[in-house]
Amino acid sequence: MTEQTTRRALLGGLALTAAAPRLARAQSGAVVIYTPNSAQAVDAVKEVVERARPPLRINTITGGSAQLLRRIAAEASRPQADLFWSSSANTLGDFRSLYQAYRSPEAAAIPDSLRQPEDLWTATNIHVVVAMLNRNQLRGTAAPRSWADLLDPAWKGRIIIADPQNSSTGYTILWGVSKLLGEDGLRRLAANLRVSSSASAVLRGVAQGEYAVGLTFESNAYGYVAGGQREIQLVYPSDGTFISPEFQALVKDAPAGATARRAFDMLLSKPVQTALLEAAYRRPSRSDIDVAKLVDLPAMSGIRVFPTDETEAAAKRAEFLAQWQQIVAAVN
Amino acid sequence: MMARAGSVWFWLSAAMLVVLAVFLVYPLFNIVTGSFGTGSRSGWSVLLAEPRYLQAVTNTVMLGIAVTATTVVIAVPLAYVAARYDFPGKSVVAILPLITLVIPEVISAQTWLMMLGNNGVFTRYLADHGIDLPSFYGWPGLIIALTFSYYTYVYIGTVAAIRGFDSQLEEAAQSLGTSPVASRLRVMLPVIMPAVLASALLVFTLVVGNFATATILGGRVPLLSVLTYQAAVAESGADPVMQSTLASVSIGLVMLVLFVQRWIVSRGRHEVVQGRGAKAARMRGLSGLGIGVAAGIIVVISLLPLATLVAGAFTRARGPVMRWGDWTTANLERLFNNAPEPLFNSLVYAGTATVVSIAFSTLVSYLIVKKRNLLTPALDYITALPLALSGTAIGIGLVMSFNAGWLPLTGTAGIIVLAYIVRRLPFGIRNASSTLYNVPNSIEEASISLGVPPVSSFLRVVLPLMAPAIAAAAVLTWTTTVAELSASIIVYSGGRETLPIQIYKLIDSGLMAQASAYGLVLIVVILLPIIVATRVFRIDLFSSRA
Repeated sequence: MTEQTTRRALLGGLALTAAAPRLARAQSGAVVIYTPNSAQAVDAVKEVVERARPPLRINTITGGSAQLLRRIAAEASRPQADLFWSSSANTLGDFRSLYQAYRSPEAAAIPDSLRQPEDLWTATNIHVVVAMLNRNQLRGTAAPRSWADLLDPAWKGRIIIADPQNSSTGYTILWGVSKLLGEDGLRRLAANLRVSSSASAVLRGVAQGEYAVGLTFESNAYGYVAGGQREIQLVYPSDGTFISPEFQALVKDAPAGATARRAFDMLLSKPVQTALLEAAYRRPSRSDIDVAKLVDLPAMSGIRVFPTDETEAAAKRAEFLAQWQQIVAAVN
Repeated sequence: MMARAGSVWFWLSAAMLVVLAVFLVYPLFNIVTGSFGTGSRSGWSVLLAEPRYLQAVTNTVMLGIAVTATTVVIAVPLAYVAARYDFPGKSVVAILPLITLVIPEVISAQTWLMMLGNNGVFTRYLADHGIDLPSFYGWPGLIIALTFSYYTYVYIGTVAAIRGFDSQLEEAAQSLGTSPVASRLRVMLPVIMPAVLASALLVFTLVVGNFATATILGGRVPLLSVLTYQAAVAESGADPVMQSTLASVSIGLVMLVLFVQRWIVSRGRHEVVQGRGAKAARMRGLSGLGIGVAAGIIVVISLLPLATLVAGAFTRARGPVMRWGDWTTANLERLFNNAPEPLFNSLVYAGTATVVSIAFSTLVSYLIVKKRNLLTPALDYITALPLALSGTAIGIGLVMSFNAGWLPLTGTAGIIVLAYIVRRLPFGIRNASSTLYNVPNSIEEASISLGVPPVSSFLRVVLPLMAPAIAAAAVLTWTTTVAELSASIIVYSGGRETLPIQIYKLIDSGLMAQASAYGLVLIVVILLPIIVATRVFRIDLFSSRA
C-alpha cells in the first residue's frame, strides 16, 4: 500500500472521506481520463499536455465507451474520473446525468454544428468512414470505388466489418448504407460481409490479407498507409460516405476540480488537435487546421458526404439491429 | 477424519467462510440478482425467447467438451513421457509448454491465422497445389487454437499426479502377472484420475469463459462468452441485465460439470501411502525416438506463437506496420526507458496475490481434505465458485461491491490484488487438495497420538510434506496471476496498468511490435521464478527424479 493511500485511509477514518482524496488529487496536478481511444492517440495527447506550464499529468483508463461510462455511473458517489474522451453523441447521450456542462474558451474555433446546445459535450474530432483495401487480395476483381461496387457477389466473404451490435463504427456504417442504398442494398452488402466481434480484428484482418476490404474509420486504417504498407489503400466511396463526430465531456464533481477544466481546454486546443492528427490521424473538430497540409488525407471539402441523422439512428437502434439480424440470418 | 464442532479447525473454517462470503459470495450475489433486471424485463425470459442465446449455450458446451477431450488426448501422454522417460532435451520439453499459459491469446490467434487463415502460409501453399482447406474461422480454428492454448493445464496437473504415484503399486501389479502396459493403466489411471479430471474441468471452464480467441476465430459460431462480453462492454447498447443472465448461465453450466466431477472422484478415492516415485527410464530404439519426436512436435507447435512474439519484439515498426526482417532493440529500449511502470505494477500485485493466495488456499485445502467438519463442504463449494465466473464477471462483481460503502477499494491497487486472488482461488485449492489426498492421514495421526497439538502437527508434519507441492503451486499461481487479464482490466485504475493490460491496450491499437516487447518481458518475468526454483532451489516442479 502506498503512503498516499494509507494517509487517505486515516483521513477517511476522521470522517473527511469526501474532501481528502479530492484535495490530494487536485494538488498533485494529475487528471484521470477515461478513454476508449487508442494508445497512439493517448500518447500523442500526453506528449503535448505534459510539456505544458505548469505541468499537467494525465492518467488514462481505457476500455469500451459504454463500459467506461457505466463505470463512471457506478462511481458517481465517489468519482474517480475527471474527463471522458471521447465517443459519439449517441453513446454519451445515454449517460447524460454524469456530465458537468462546461463551455470551453477553445470551443470558439469549433463550428456550432459540432457543439451540444447545453455544452454537456464538445466535439474533439470527426470520423470518416472508408473502405480499407488490401490491393494484394483483389485477385482480378476491380478495386471498388463506391458502396454500389461492394454489392457485387465477387466480394462474397472478402469484406469484414465490426459487429454493429457492439461497435458504434459498425453501426454507423450499416445504418448509413441502409439509408443510402435502401434495404435491398443492405441485404446485398450483408451477403458479402463477414462480421467480427472484435473491432481491431477488422484492421489486422485486412493488413494481414485475411480480407480484401475492411469497413472502418479513416483514422484507424490510415496508420497502415502512413506506416508504409504499400498494398493498403483508403477508398472514400464516390456515392457518398458517412461521418461521425466524437465528443468529450467533463465528469460531474471531477476530483481534479479546476485542473480537470484546464485539461478539458487543452484537449480541444490547436496543438493537441494537430498532434492527434499527425500521430493518430484524427480529423480535427477545429476549423483552423489544414488537414491536407499535415497528413496525406484528403481535405474534408474533397470528400462526398452522405448526411445521416444521428438522432434518428440512435432512436431506431433496437429496431434496426433486429432488422439487421433478420437479414444476416436470411443471407447466410 | 472428522473435526468436531468447536475445535480450533471448526473456528478456522468459520473464519475462512466469513472472508469468502465478503469477497466472493457478496459480489456474486450482486451479479446474479442483476439477471432478474428491473421492472418487467427479466433476462431469463429474453434468454428463452431469442434462439441465438440458446444456440450459443449449446455451442459453448460442445466446444468445451471438444477442447477438453483434445487437451486430455494431447497432454496426458505428453505428461507421461515427460514424467517417466529421459530423453535428450527433456528439460526443455518439460518446461516450455508453460509458456503457452502466458502468450497473449490474441498473439496465438494471429499466429494461427498466419499459418492457416485465409491468407495463411499453409493455406496458400496448399491452394497452389490444388487443395482448398476449409475456412479456419469457426469450429476448426476454435478447437485447434484453444487446444494448444490450454493443454498445458492438463499437462501440469498430470505430471504432478504421476510424480506422486507410487511405482511400487505398479510393480506389485506386474509381479502378480499383469503385463506392464495393462498394469500401468489399471493401477495408475485410478490414482491420477482425480488430477486429470480436475485439470480437464479447468480447461472446460477456461473454454466456457474464453473471450479473446473466440472473438477472433469464432466466425459465425455464436458463443456464450462472446455474447456475455458484448453485453458487458459493448461500445453502445450494453446490456447489464443480459450480462448478468448469461454469466449466470455459465455459472450453472460449470456447476453442473463440477458436480459430475465430484461424483466421479467420490466413487473412488485413493490414498497413496508415501512411497517412491518411479525412476525415469531412458528411452532407446525406434519407439523411444518416435515418442520423443511426437512430444517434440506438440511442443514446437505450441511454441510457434512464442516465435512470433520474440520476432515481433525485435522487429522495427512504423505505427501498426511491421518491417519483418528489419531488426531493432528500439521496442525494448522504449519500454525500459519510457514506460517501465507496467512491469513494476505486475511484480508487486502478482507477488502479493501469490503469497496471500497460497497461504489461504493451503489452509483451506487442509481444512477441506483433512479436517472435514460441518462447514467444510460449504468451503469446498464456495472456493470452487470462481471457476464458474468469467474474469469479466469477477471484475464487475468486485467493482459493484467495493465501489463505496464500508470498504471502498476502487481506484486502489488492493482491488487488482483481490481480483487476482479470487480469480485463481480454485486453481490453488485444487492444486493443494490433490497433493493432500496423497498425504496419508496416518502420519499426522501418529504425530498427534505422540502428544503434539493439532496445529503444531499441521505446521511441523503436514506442511513440510506439502512443501514441494506448495512451492510448485506458488510458482504456477505466480505464472497465471501475472498473466491475468480479463478481471484486472475491469478493475484497474489510471497508472496501475499491469503487463497484460498494457499488452492488450497496445494490440488493440494495432501496435504489435510494442505489444510483443511487453510480451517478451512478461515471459521473462514468468520464467525467472521457474528457473530459480528448479535450478537454484532444486525444487522438482515438473519432472520426476525419484
